[in-house]
Amino acid sequence: MADTVNKTLIPRLDRRGFLKGCTMAAAALGLSETMVPKLVEAATTAQRPPVVWLHFQECTGCTESLLRASHPDLGRLLLDIISLDYHETVMAAAGHQAEQNLKDTIEKYNGKFLLVVEGAVPTKDNGIYCKIAGRTAMDILADVAPKAAAVIAIGTCATFGGVQAAAPNPTGAVGVQTLVKGPVVNISGCPPNPISLLGTILHYLTFKRLPALDSLGRPLFAYGRRNHDHCERRPHFDEGRFVEQFGDEAHRQAYCLYKVGCKGPETFASCPSVRFNDVGVWPVSVGHGCIGCTEPNFWDTMTPFYERLPNVKIPGSGIVADADSVGKKVLGITAAAVGIHAAVGIGKRLIKGKDEK
Amino acid sequence: MTYEKQKCWSILLRLYHWSFALSIVFLVATGIYINFPWSNTLQLGTGSFPVAWVRYVHFVAGYVFTAAVLARIFLYIFGNAQERITDCLPISGRNIRNLIKTLLQYSYISDEHDERLGHNVLAGCTYIITIIAAVFQLVSGFFMLFPEAHIWQSWGVTLFGNQQEARFIHHLLMWWFLIFAVIHIYLVIWNDVNGPEGLVSSIFTGDKFKHKKA
Repeated sequence: MADTVNKTLIPRLDRRGFLKGCTMAAAALGLSETMVPKLVEAATTAQRPPVVWLHFQECTGCTESLLRASHPDLGRLLLDIISLDYHETVMAAAGHQAEQNLKDTIEKYNGKFLLVVEGAVPTKDNGIYCKIAGRTAMDILADVAPKAAAVIAIGTCATFGGVQAAAPNPTGAVGVQTLVKGPVVNISGCPPNPISLLGTILHYLTFKRLPALDSLGRPLFAYGRRNHDHCERRPHFDEGRFVEQFGDEAHRQAYCLYKVGCKGPETFASCPSVRFNDVGVWPVSVGHGCIGCTEPNFWDTMTPFYERLPNVKIPGSGIVADADSVGKKVLGITAAAVGIHAAVGIGKRLIKGKDEK
Repeated sequence: MTYEKQKCWSILLRLYHWSFALSIVFLVATGIYINFPWSNTLQLGTGSFPVAWVRYVHFVAGYVFTAAVLARIFLYIFGNAQERITDCLPISGRNIRNLIKTLLQYSYISDEHDERLGHNVLAGCTYIITIIAAVFQLVSGFFMLFPEAHIWQSWGVTLFGNQQEARFIHHLLMWWFLIFAVIHIYLVIWNDVNGPEGLVSSIFTGDKFKHKKA
């Protein structure tokens, strides 16, 4: 039974747990087991870079999912082995002391530390909608990011803006890659799988470079495939067995959730293979469709979550309707127009007669 | 009044037309099913794969559609005088006059039919819009079909943002093809009834009948 509530709060990461964490990351990266000692070596070497973790417009859910992973080793691996010099949620320092830590780290390890950003950056009105220690998120990012060896954006807010960037985006929130020059690794998801972050960091420590990325800057080892294409319910899709509504017999039989709006066919993630919290679950495995949280603009394009397609919004009219009812209406109007046109033609010919022929 | 037979459409254009039309019939029928698979097997172990099979038909038809679109784009540049893009757009005095006369004739204001061998310009413009819609249709289609191919991903992300947006536009554009088909079939029949050139048969034979110049 997994220790889901941390009953045995081990103060220190033990060797067994540490090796387990490294092995999981190696598996996620698609590396052979012979690479595990190299990962272990890279993670324990004295020259490993410190990590600075900045929080902006977010809910701290990504950090929570990292710390609450039922496998406590993952969180501890990051916190104990990789030196996390500044992390607003878990650091002991507070107030001026904390800010001093950040300042010292980015000066001492200029060009060497890893920067992890959690949360979107508001840009409207000079970014006044998110301030830490009197400085705006924009200022902090512009100060810290150019000094970092690599920038990792964790969570959909930091990568693509997330919920606060959804229309009408009142604070002008954007993802980190919009503001930072140079490559940003996007570990998207709401929250992302901690193993994707750990894999990226260990890849960097071991090979001294970032993992291969897709066109949206997401590591291919975790975001290289659509959920639908490696979902355990895919055979039900191909054989045409669908849940028609939540709670029906097909739902109890764990059939495909396509018709109740599962966004697996448009979402790139490792959820079906890596899964969450060490108990082998992800949304679809417990009967809820994927909501597409790893994709850009997911709040705007993946909603309604329980429909296959977004609604058609007719600008200025406030009319919101589903695509097919709009399509059927337009087609009906077209058919009616064709009928009227033909009738007018026939009427005209009846009145005028066929004199010209 | 005497007529003469004139060569109008090349064999490639006629092949394009019919592969385009037939592939659209299959694509729309299978596409509606893929978006909403109305049949529900509800039983394990039947050994039938309705969604996989319909998707397969959709993809085969998609390749025929792609070939047809590429053939039409080729003909827009290298086709005969009636097939080139310059004959379809209102970019010359002759073409603009034809567009106006066609609009007047279609709205029953005038009975004058502008004698012309190729498309009338109103039709030509509509076909160009349809080919542009078809290009979006096949780019979004390949973006969804090959999610792991870098080239389609970078195109798809640039044009649509994400897969869901591509799917949405792919679905909306399907309605354009349905509406286009209704108007297109009506107007070719209307023209065939009102003009003696043999418009409907020309897409089978490639020939049109024109008044013989005295």
